[in-house]
Amino acid sequence: MTWKRICGVGDVAENSVRQFDVDGVPIVLVNYGEGFRAIPPICPHMEEPLAESGVVARCIFTCTKHLWAWDLRTLEMQGATEKPLKIYETKLEGGDVLANIEGELTYDFDSEDDMDDDFFK
Amino acid sequence: MKITVQNKSGELAFDCGERESILHAGLRQGINLPFECATGTCGTCRARVMSGDVDVRWPEAPGGARLKPEKGDILMCQTLARSDCTLRVPSELAVSEKFRPAPRRGVIRGIRRLTRDVAHFDLHLPAPMTFQAGQFVVLEAEGVTGGRAYSMVNYDSDSDRLELVLKRKPDGHFSNWLFDSVKDEAQVDVFGPLGRAIFRPEEARNIVCIAGGSGIAGMMSILECAVRADHFRAHRGSVFFGVRTLADAFYLEKLSRLTAASHGNLEVTVALSDEPAATKTHAEFPDLKLAHGMVHDVAAKAMAAGDRNALTYIAGPPIMVDSAIRALIAGGTAIRDIRYDKFG
Repeated sequence: MTWKRICGVGDVAENSVRQFDVDGVPIVLVNYGEGFRAIPPICPHMEEPLAESGVVARCIFTCTKHLWAWDLRTLEMQGATEKPLKIYETKLEGGDVLANIEGELTYDFDSEDDMDDDFFK
Repeated sequence: MKITVQNKSGELAFDCGERESILHAGLRQGINLPFECATGTCGTCRARVMSGDVDVRWPEAPGGARLKPEKGDILMCQTLARSDCTLRVPSELAVSEKFRPAPRRGVIRGIRRLTRDVAHFDLHLPAPMTFQAGQFVVLEAEGVTGGRAYSMVNYDSDSDRLELVLKRKPDGHFSNWLFDSVKDEAQVDVFGPLGRAIFRPEEARNIVCIAGGSGIAGMMSILECAVRADHFRAHRGSVFFGVRTLADAFYLEKLSRLTAASHGNLEVTVALSDEPAATKTHAEFPDLKLAHGMVHDVAAKAMAAGDRNALTYIAGPPIMVDSAIRALIAGGTAIRDIRYDKFG
C-alpha cells in the first residue's frame, strides 16, 4: 500500500470535482457528499477530461459529453454506460484525503481496445 | 455488397449500395448502428473493418481523431463499401421495422434570409416523409464533403415539404454554398429522418427547450406538434432561445403565436449573450421575455426555481450543448430526462 496525500478534506467542496497531480500521477477527486472518490482524469468512453466535463450531483457522477454515469456509492453503471469506472482506494486521515497509488491507473485505450479479439464480446 | 456486422448481440448482415455510406445502408434497413452527428464530427459511429475493401470519403473527418486506421478503424458515416465486408461494432445491435430513414433526392426552393447570417429554405421531396417532432435530415451536395445535419422546423407527421434553417458559418462550405450560389431548384441528396431527441405528446410531460442559434429549428417542430395536440392545456413548457443580439433573433412571430395558443402555460425567453436586455419583454411581441446572458446560464437559473422533472431538449453548437448539459446535471436533472442533438 502506498498512501499519498491528495489534499486537505476542505479543499474539494461537496458536489464538486477537482484535478490534482500527486507525484506525477493525475487524479481527479470527486466529493459526492457521502464520501470521496479518486479516479483517473479521463472518461473510459472517449477520453473526455473529467475535470472539465464531470459533474456530480445526488451521488451520481456524470461525464456530460455523452452522459455516461456511475453511482459513486456502489460504482454501478447508469443508463447507457458500458465501462466501469476505475478507482484508487481512498481514506481520510488527520484532515487529509489520501489515495493508495501503486501506479497510475489508465484505461489503456491502446491495449484494452474494445474491438480487439480479447475484449470484444 | 453485403455487410456483416459482428456486434455485442451477435452478428447481423445487411445490403449496401455502391454510393451510400455504410451507416446510411444499415440505418435504412432498421439497424440501430451507433451514431450521433451522422456527419463525421463526433466519432460515435466508429467500426473496425475485419475484412473487405472500403473507401473512406473524408479521411480528415474530425470525429476520426481517436481511430486506429492501422487496425482498420473507420467512421461508418464516411465510408463506402467496395466489396462484401465484415465489420466489428462495439455495441448491441438490433433490427426494427418502424421509423426507418431512407435516401431521397430533394429540391431546394424558397430560400429567404431571416437575419444577417440565418436563412430558411424549403426542401421538396418526391413523396411525403414520415417524421417525428425534433428529428433531422442529413443533406449532401456535390463538392461538400461530409454532409450536414438539419432539423425540421415544421411539423407535419407526413410531409413532402421540409422546412429547414441554416446559419452561415465563416468557413462553412455548405452554408456558404447555400447563401452564395444556390438558386431555386438546386438538388441535394437527403437522408432521414434521424434523431432521438423527439417529442411525443403521449409521454405527457412538462418540457424545457434550450436552443442556441439555429438549434431552435427542432424546437419549433416540437412546439408545433405540442400545440396541435393541445399539450399545454395540462402541461407546462419553457423555451430558452439563445442568440447574440436581438437583431439575430428569428421566428419570433411564430413563437409568439405558439405562446398565445398555449393557455398561458408556455413561456419563451430570448437570451441575449452579447447585449443587455433593454426591456423585460419584447417590444413587438410582449409575450416573449428577454434576458441577458448565455442561454445555458439563463436556463439553469430559471430551472433551479422550477420543475426538475421536465423532459429537456437541447440543441445548438456543441460547446453550448455541453455547457447546458453540465448545468442541468449539476442542478439535479436526471440523464434520462435529457434529449439532445449535437451537430459539429
